[in-house]
Amino acid sequence: MSKLRDFVTRDHRYVLLGTSVVALLGMLLSSSPRPELSFLANAFTVELVMYYVLVAWLVLCAVALLFKLTHWHNYAESAPFTKPAVARALRVGSYVIWAITAVLLVDRWVMGLASAWQVAAAAEKMPDDMLAQVLYMFQQGRDTYITGIITTIELAVFGTLIAFFLALLLVFARIMQVDRSDNDCVRFFKKIGVWFAKVYSTVVRGTPMLVQGVIIYYAGFAFVSSFGLSVTDTNAIWSRFVAGLVVVSLNSTAYMMEVLRGGIESVDKGQMEAARSLGLSQWQAMVRVVFPQGIKFAIPGLSNELVINIKDSSVLSVIGVFDLAFAASTVAGIYWKQLNAYLVAAVFYLIMTAIASWLLGKFAKRFNVKAETMGSTSDQPVKVEE
Amino acid sequence: MSEKNPNVAASAGVAAGTAAEPMVRIGGLRKSFGDLEVLRDINLDVMPGQVVTIIGASGSGKSTLLRCINLLETPDAGHVWFHGADLAAEHVDVNRLREKIGMVFQGFNLFNNMNVLDNCTLAPVTLKKMGKAEAQEVAMRHLESVGLADFARADVNNLSGGQKQRVAIARALCMQPDLMLFDEPTSALDPEIVGEVLEVMRRLAAEGMTMVVVTHEMAFAKNVSDEVVFMDKGVIAEKGAPSKLFSAPEHPRTREFLARYLEG
Repeated sequence: MSKLRDFVTRDHRYVLLGTSVVALLGMLLSSSPRPELSFLANAFTVELVMYYVLVAWLVLCAVALLFKLTHWHNYAESAPFTKPAVARALRVGSYVIWAITAVLLVDRWVMGLASAWQVAAAAEKMPDDMLAQVLYMFQQGRDTYITGIITTIELAVFGTLIAFFLALLLVFARIMQVDRSDNDCVRFFKKIGVWFAKVYSTVVRGTPMLVQGVIIYYAGFAFVSSFGLSVTDTNAIWSRFVAGLVVVSLNSTAYMMEVLRGGIESVDKGQMEAARSLGLSQWQAMVRVVFPQGIKFAIPGLSNELVINIKDSSVLSVIGVFDLAFAASTVAGIYWKQLNAYLVAAVFYLIMTAIASWLLGKFAKRFNVKAETMGSTSDQPVKVEE
Repeated sequence: MSEKNPNVAASAGVAAGTAAEPMVRIGGLRKSFGDLEVLRDINLDVMPGQVVTIIGASGSGKSTLLRCINLLETPDAGHVWFHGADLAAEHVDVNRLREKIGMVFQGFNLFNNMNVLDNCTLAPVTLKKMGKAEAQEVAMRHLESVGLADFARADVNNLSGGQKQRVAIARALCMQPDLMLFDEPTSALDPEIVGEVLEVMRRLAAEGMTMVVVTHEMAFAKNVSDEVVFMDKGVIAEKGAPSKLFSAPEHPRTREFLARYLEG
């Protein structure tokens, strides 16, 4: 914090060079066309003055740069710009430049967005302006988008929660080792459990979720209708949403199991040995000592799964789950403007993942662990265990 | 023997003499890690009340032998009898037998997710069906005896190495074991705090606890133990009373090893 304060009040290095970029940006904004709602349109002289202040600042910066080039060796001593009083004045000047650019930014961009919104709201048919088009499509397709957003959130939240509990079951099956004192029945079930978890993880992580979605939806459909139900009844029981939720849960289970296993395996082996040396069984040692430590390591990866599910549930639109991606394609189909429809979806996905990351970061902080940045299942290579 | 209470030592000797039944009997023990033979035909008896020290160079199989006694390592062949029950047999209830065998590790291995007191009470409450209050009372008594009663509520991660190791000893004692195994208990400690751990072990030995200690502390081996075992390349090269083994070692490897220690 004191570093930041020093930079703002004392450091002289970036005042001229840095602010000249800001001034240039302000000039570009000023030369861009005024939107409908621009407030500077009514104060033309003010904007003119602001523009010339920016120009003057750029000239000043150019002089300083020339001076620096010609007095390369003794700039600090000879230049008027480094004298304390001048430096102070320059600093104040730089704040003025920032303020001017900020005002121009609000006038052109924020008011531009507001104008486009107004145009879109008043429009009877598709407006000509690109931004207004996007907003028009959002306004017209608002109910569709909202339905899609709610479905996406439901899929991600419920899918992640269900997957977490399934992953807990599966990871205990995965890491149990045959103990010397186990009888043959226990040994058999432990081996089956490990085998099942390995196969499950390999199959699920080794196939794309899109393919899984199609297979599970149609296989489930065939299974339910095999009880002699009509297509309508089958659709009521095995709806596209239910199928989608099953796909997300089963898929996420495999990844969460691996995250949990990684967490548990990063606990020092000595913890297990110490617990066993006291006479605790493998299960007792796992539940009381190793797992509580391992889950701490796993929390960032686990919470990341929620963010991943928000994004990756979009592939379920292939089986007609009415999520945000499906909503975007529906709206795009009506107006035949793919780019605009999906830009709206992208903004909402970004908002949802940002909120989820922020909440999960706060959640992770309570456990004294650092949250990971956003990732995707497709970033993680599939490791096949032998 | 000099530092031991002569009465206790004598009574332990008598007990060992009359019972004549070793607490631990290791017979024909073999263990390999891959192609590496770590233990080759080990035979060793530990009498009740006896303190046995295992010395030897790194990689000679000392720790593996110790870990075979409570089956943290599974022997490839041979037997480990504890109170007459063969630990190495298939399907033996290892967990029950381990309750009677305490172990102290080089790396302390205190449970990081618990405070000092919970470290001590976890096993008694879980396994002995002891009430929480009673287990805490027992734990406090043992923590008192290692001088850490004030730290009962402390987070284990905030303790010094010496304190951690003393908590580890107290934790093992809370299960009221018949036998204590020490796997290089002072090797991870700074030289100036080795003493506080050795002091606790010395007192434990004087109270008549049966102990098997793997250590590089030659003074401890010399003064406290009843029998010293010198291991070399997976076999017991020489064993005997410390007075004999340290003053007149028979095996050339023993002599070499001790000479290096006396120099260093």
